[in-house]
Amino acid sequence: MAEIDQRPAWLRGVLDLCLLALLKDGEAYGYELARRLEDLGFGQVAGGSLYPALLRREKLGHLRAEWRAGEGGPGRKYYVLTETGRDALEREVVAWNAFAASVAAALGGVPA
Amino acid sequence: MRRQTWLDEFALELAAREVARADIAGIVVEASGHLDETAAAPLEAFGAPAAYAELVADALGAQRVPPRVGEVRVAARGLHKRYRRHTVLDDVDLELHVGEAVLLMGRNGRGKSTLLRILAGLAKPDGGSVELHGSVGYAPQDGGLIDQLRPAEHFVLFGRARGLDRKAAIQQGRRLAEQLGWDALAAPVAGELSGGTRQKLNVVLAALGEPDVLLLDEPYQGLDLDSVQRFWELLWEWRDAGRCALVATHAHDAIERADAVLEL
Repeated sequence: MAEIDQRPAWLRGVLDLCLLALLKDGEAYGYELARRLEDLGFGQVAGGSLYPALLRREKLGHLRAEWRAGEGGPGRKYYVLTETGRDALEREVVAWNAFAASVAAALGGVPA
Repeated sequence: MRRQTWLDEFALELAAREVARADIAGIVVEASGHLDETAAAPLEAFGAPAAYAELVADALGAQRVPPRVGEVRVAARGLHKRYRRHTVLDDVDLELHVGEAVLLMGRNGRGKSTLLRILAGLAKPDGGSVELHGSVGYAPQDGGLIDQLRPAEHFVLFGRARGLDRKAAIQQGRRLAEQLGWDALAAPVAGELSGGTRQKLNVVLAALGEPDVLLLDEPYQGLDLDSVQRFWELLWEWRDAGRCALVATHAHDAIERADAVLEL
């Protein structure tokens, strides 16, 4: 039986949070964030999930967008974590850690 | 699907979902930049244009505040209306609340105009009751204008009936027209206006004096897309300010813009 890559489905719930975390130490643009997630082992992140997640957080005021002129191109949209975003990140990390602990506890008895 | 075709379709799908024009430009440029860098096919990176536009519109809706719906402004119960042997309205109920923009839909001849005229007090139902709390502004589907008068003169005339003096009426009429993208004070007499502009004038006249209830009959026949968008923005502002509106139309694109739909 072919192995189904479950990472995209798992990532769906935490993509927003990971993006906030990646922007903690500085701004980045969409594709750059996709590459960094890939490097972290999440697999390929489709643009179709990446940009809506960024947009959602921008609308919530957690991220601020800045357009920079690109080389020859029409410009690139950089995302910056706002103060509100930083607060949200802190709160959500606590919540996520509790959830991850529950998952770990549930899976605890299963031999890896 | 070719890259440009995908991007064009995506932009159209965003527009169809009420995403603001200023937002669309940025979103499309960003998607196009992503495609350049990944060298991926658009369908693979984003999926079908319509599906992706849906996701984006959803994400943008994260901040959209649902309208606060309040007390009843208009309550019609069991309305009946017959013209000779022909039944136009058969047991129609309707409630319109503070903070609502409601759409009245139905094919021609289903009694949309008749219902609006009854609610406006211009026609008498053969049965049923209408309860109205507050003032009413009504824009007929056509007519209602005086061909020899300029828009500003209409403002003064109609404004007087709503208790506005000359200056206030012209000021308010001009501001409402501007919101619809129309320079009313530079316009000629009503008889020389195009169909779409006559509709704009009708809408402005209905809204003069800021009545609690707006009743609009096919207000955007003949309006271009930009004006339709402006019209809805005006309505949303209207209902967010604690008033309400009932809009008769058979344009299906209005469904997503309204808070509720009544089908006749």
